[in-house]
Amino acid sequence: MSIIKVKNLTKTYHDTEVPVHAVNGVNLEFKKGEFSAIVGPSGSGKTTLLNMIGGLEHPSSGMVEVNGTDMFELSSSALIEFRLMNIGFVFQAYNLIPVLTAKENVEFIMQLQNKDKKQMNERTISLLESVGLGDRLNSRPNQLSGGQQQRVAVARALASKPMFVLADEPTANLDSKATMQLLEIMEVLNREENITFIFATHDQRVVDKAHRVITIDDGKIISDESVSK
Amino acid sequence: MMLLKIAWRNIWRSKLRSSVVLLAIASGMVGGLFSSAWMNGMANQRVRNDFDIETAHIQFHNPQFADNFDVRKTISNTDSKLRELKNIEGVEYVTSRIKSQAMAATANKNSGVTIVGVNPKTEKEVFKLYTKINEGDGDFFETKKRNSIVISKALAKDLKVKLKSKIILTFQDYNGEITGAAFKVIGIFKTQNSQWDKTTVFVKDADLRKVLDLPTDLSHEIDIVITDFNIAGETSKILQDKFPDILSEDWTEIKPYLSFISEYMDIMMGVFMLIILLALGFGIVNTMLMVILERTRELGMLMAIGMSKSRIFKMIMLETVLLSLLGAIIGEIISMLLINYYGSVGINIASMSEGLESVGYAATSYPALEFYKYIEITGLVLITGVLASIYPSFKALQLNPVEAIRTI
Repeated sequence: MSIIKVKNLTKTYHDTEVPVHAVNGVNLEFKKGEFSAIVGPSGSGKTTLLNMIGGLEHPSSGMVEVNGTDMFELSSSALIEFRLMNIGFVFQAYNLIPVLTAKENVEFIMQLQNKDKKQMNERTISLLESVGLGDRLNSRPNQLSGGQQQRVAVARALASKPMFVLADEPTANLDSKATMQLLEIMEVLNREENITFIFATHDQRVVDKAHRVITIDDGKIISDESVSK
Repeated sequence: MMLLKIAWRNIWRSKLRSSVVLLAIASGMVGGLFSSAWMNGMANQRVRNDFDIETAHIQFHNPQFADNFDVRKTISNTDSKLRELKNIEGVEYVTSRIKSQAMAATANKNSGVTIVGVNPKTEKEVFKLYTKINEGDGDFFETKKRNSIVISKALAKDLKVKLKSKIILTFQDYNGEITGAAFKVIGIFKTQNSQWDKTTVFVKDADLRKVLDLPTDLSHEIDIVITDFNIAGETSKILQDKFPDILSEDWTEIKPYLSFISEYMDIMMGVFMLIILLALGFGIVNTMLMVILERTRELGMLMAIGMSKSRIFKMIMLETVLLSLLGAIIGEIISMLLINYYGSVGINIASMSEGLESVGYAATSYPALEFYKYIEITGLVLITGVLASIYPSFKALQLNPVEAIRTI
């Protein structure tokens, strides 16, 4: 059963003289436990599509339904709450809170969800251990490498027990070793805990690991292929 | 708790900038509080000086005496009134005086004065004029010699007299006849009010009573010192009910400008602090706007991952308020130390002493500020911090998460 339904989604920017159709009539569905990559050249519309799936950007037309809820029918505050409870984000530039330690960064999401302290503590430690940072709980982002920071970001994205995780170019700033480590961690989490990951990327290493590859160009889906692993 | 932690740590992200803001707030506080304490100290001293030298806390007069200083408008049964007053709770000291307008003359010059006839023993309990006589300038009726007079240094200079000189006082007696007598100078005082000094002379009650031909037990004024001058108004009303034949007035009625000085200083302090807080407020707004500009990407990320607008608003507000409060506390501690130090050693502006004394202020003043004023100021800074955080917080809420995350 699909957890995400994208129907006739378009996004047109009118900032320039000629309107730009960043996403143009996209229809997609994602099932629980998918490990999918949206690929395409720069400016193809993959990040815009991902942002709309994540409820960060409003479409010009069409809808995104997550578990039966049309996200863009929600009020602005309800949409923020919806994102908090259902969607995990991993950004290209890690975007951790620099004044908090790795543990506090992961806990922060659960604090926003008003989880109890004990539950929060146990989940944070287990998540950071699962991304191989059990020994760096009290390190601040500036004391961690890029790869380590991105692993904290993955742990943070999973902290809220989201329905799916959206990762926009998560490996763009990482070297090969860190990229492979991160992908392996996400693959294990996907396989063992059935966590749904959707990537927007043009990194072939990510594409190679994906079970489904959606190619987008000029805002349109060019191909949508399942890859057997 | 997490928001408080983030807000606190965010303050120290840019140590230099936060230190500059803290320094600005603390300096503003020190400037405002110390100058307020200085003005307040001068005003307090002025008021207390008037209590000690001129008015006491409450005065009794014949209701018609104040109109034209008529020597026949007296208070009757003075002794029994004094006895009765002493037994009233809250009344500490009492004394009676007789007064007359006179012309003081020497071979060189003459001058209009108010003669105050005093009982030296009780006078010293109520008034501290005797402390204003320097060594070598005589005393305040320590001798039993008749017709002795205590005058001020300023009047002595005007009349060109010194200790043991004679002054002729001419005035109207109780029967309306012009009379006069010679008095020998036995003491020369100097207070902080040179105008009052020039127009007031002191003689013994018995000497003046004799020349005035004033019957025993009549007086023109009863001066009362109570335990708390702040309740002089209420006490005066109670005494007025007990002694309906006299007019009882508290110090604010006798010298309305004295209470005005206190109120005026409070207003001045308020205006002064308002200007400082306004300037600080704009400084804080500017700093926080810079902070938001710098953290656009971070704020966008927080919005994206699900931090509500109210929490973002609270986080920025907490950071602003913490910064403001910290600056205020540092400023208040420094102010407190400075005020306590100068409050004990005093600030002497000798170069301005003549000007200050001509309007009743001492050249040495002792800064003082009640503790509740610090609390008040802390509250005001807190309000300033909250107000100053509204605009930057509002700006933060207007950020679009996607655009903010793209910001480099």
